[in-house]
Amino acid sequence: MFRKVREQEQTISILVNNQPGVLSRVGGVFGRHGYNIKSLCVAETTNPEVSRITLTSESDPDFTEKIKKQLEKLVDVIAVSDLSGQAYIQRELMLIGVTVKEGMHSELLRAIEMFGCKIVTMTPDYFILEITGLQDETAAVLKYFQSFGVEEINRTGSIVVQRNRPQGKI
Amino acid sequence: MDTIGADIIIQILREEGVDVIFGYPGANTLPLHDRLTSSQIRHYLMRHEQAAAHAADGYARATGKVGVCLATSGPGATNLVTGIATAYMDSTPMVALTAQVSTSLLGQDAFQETDIIGITMPITKHSYQVHDVNDVAQTLRQAFELAKTGRPGPVLVDLPRDILAAKCEQAEEKSESALKKNGNAVEDPEQLEKIAKALNQSERPILIIGGGVKLSNAFHLIRELIAKAKIPFVTTMMGVGSVDSANGYNLGLIGTHGNELANKMVHQCDFMLAVGTRFSDRSTAQIEEFAPLAKIAQIDIDPTSIGKSIKINIPYVGDIHDTLTALLPLIDEKEKSEWLQRIDMERDVIEQKLDDSGCGQAGNFIRLVQEAMPRETTVTADVGLNQIWTIRTWKARGPRSLITSGGMGTMGFSLPASIGVKVGAPERAVVSISGDGGFFMNIQELATIGYYNLPIKIIVINNGHLGMIRQIQHHFYNGRFNTTDLGRNVDFVAVARGFGIPGCRVNVEEDPRAGIEAMANSEGPFLLEAVVDPENYVYPIIPPGCSNIEMMYERLD
Repeated sequence: MFRKVREQEQTISILVNNQPGVLSRVGGVFGRHGYNIKSLCVAETTNPEVSRITLTSESDPDFTEKIKKQLEKLVDVIAVSDLSGQAYIQRELMLIGVTVKEGMHSELLRAIEMFGCKIVTMTPDYFILEITGLQDETAAVLKYFQSFGVEEINRTGSIVVQRNRPQGKI
Repeated sequence: MDTIGADIIIQILREEGVDVIFGYPGANTLPLHDRLTSSQIRHYLMRHEQAAAHAADGYARATGKVGVCLATSGPGATNLVTGIATAYMDSTPMVALTAQVSTSLLGQDAFQETDIIGITMPITKHSYQVHDVNDVAQTLRQAFELAKTGRPGPVLVDLPRDILAAKCEQAEEKSESALKKNGNAVEDPEQLEKIAKALNQSERPILIIGGGVKLSNAFHLIRELIAKAKIPFVTTMMGVGSVDSANGYNLGLIGTHGNELANKMVHQCDFMLAVGTRFSDRSTAQIEEFAPLAKIAQIDIDPTSIGKSIKINIPYVGDIHDTLTALLPLIDEKEKSEWLQRIDMERDVIEQKLDDSGCGQAGNFIRLVQEAMPRETTVTADVGLNQIWTIRTWKARGPRSLITSGGMGTMGFSLPASIGVKVGAPERAVVSISGDGGFFMNIQELATIGYYNLPIKIIVINNGHLGMIRQIQHHFYNGRFNTTDLGRNVDFVAVARGFGIPGCRVNVEEDPRAGIEAMANSEGPFLLEAVVDPENYVYPIIPPGCSNIEMMYERLD
């Protein structure tokens, strides 16, 4: 069932048993249904036996509903929530390595200040910057710095928490 | 003797009511095989691991219990794969035990090491690799519970050799439930009333029976529903046999190789109640044109099976047995309707047109076989033309009397599955029907049947070809036959004799009754080779990409 239409970005948060092999089971469900994972973040929750997988993907909401049912069938999946359209706080952290070309030093520093980036480390011709923000914002910042010469980037992908106090404990 | 991991496995198998295992040993299974011999569990030594999986599958389908197969690591485990996938597609409750290299060797490409967990991930409900002998009991209990609850299916447990051999204490008594997560069924009386109302108000209802009815043991309830609502029914390949074929409301098999009456009436119905079916492409053909006038209600235990391929107006997630129990009181007692009269008229027209249900001499042969066999006979059909001939011709009497690989369509299923059936239901006569193509695929199991002297009546319908594929070439590839000619050079009767099994050959164009009698009257196993014409096809069929009513009755050229 490979879909051609992939309209909206969907954010799904999955609580899973913190065990070897669980990520490949979850990833397998997406792959088998022809569903590309755009970003993925896995981390332990307050309960060390449980991890949270946050992933984003592009598709239509109907299809997300089908994937959600498939995920819920996995033994190691505790809960699946589709956060698309719900109130949640989303952030992404990005590290960028920027080359400092002759005569561009002060302009670069202005941009760093303007975007609220943090300089993690610097040499006279190379900066590593840290940016935190919404996924759109980090993308915009990246685009801007690309005019200076970006050598390397890495980003965490989207992480989210719901805005309201969660009901019940994990 | 010290208690070891293998003893715990036997303890839990006994606790789960297992008395039969189909398996094949290897160096890594030995700690378990060593202890099995002194246990109350009978181990059937197959001649190939794939056959062990199919036998466990056949056993489960014939008994409703969980089937268990056992193979060694590496090639033993990979040989199970086709059998596990077959069980997965048809939702058979099965536990596959695989031995693994010792934990200290895992990941080192040790001799006969393979990642069977990774390989079987998409074809099992779940799989476990045990890393601590103290986890063996809990893991195995979970595996059994998972295999038989919800939508049943195969579960694999991978057992490293050092775990099997590790000293340990006897397992403690079973606590409540081994699984944290259990089922998704929630009662929803409002939704049930909607189904009842839609059925009560419909003028042209049809019931579609899938494999789920067998899996939840809802045979008597489905019969009650049919009798009370006077609702005509069709079956999917997996649903065949849930209700006796002779039931007057039976319209037959639907789908690409289905009966004309079934497909026609589904096209005209205004309400469809689907019970335990996932609307596979073989049942629906061109999905957009399936039951175009019908409002559809679907009952299934698996939420992912509801509305997967087709839009459902009234979905209901629940066990079929429980749901039908709650639904039945809400259904009105109906009178014979105009709809039923219309169906009877259609039936008469079709019966005049196709007097042998479109299966030709091969169909007549199967009918004669059934007449010669006892009433309490279970038949296993393989895949291909022989499957369709059997499904359309054999009159299923009693639940679990007709067994075949529906979803996966695994050639070579029939013979090893019949071993599981005979072992699980020794009081019943068992007939295994295959074509020559599928028979070759697990032909080595003649040795198992001969060794245990299992009185299975083995029928090889020999057309010298891969008949169903040949039919497709005939109709849709302008008769360009290639790679489907298997030749006539094999003497199946001589082959059987070589395995210590008597047999004879008949030609279905002539009178095959003497051969059939010889088979039916034989004491032990017997092989009957039935020679048929390679152009003895199945009609009508649905051409690819067409809807269920665009039936093809003969070759067009």
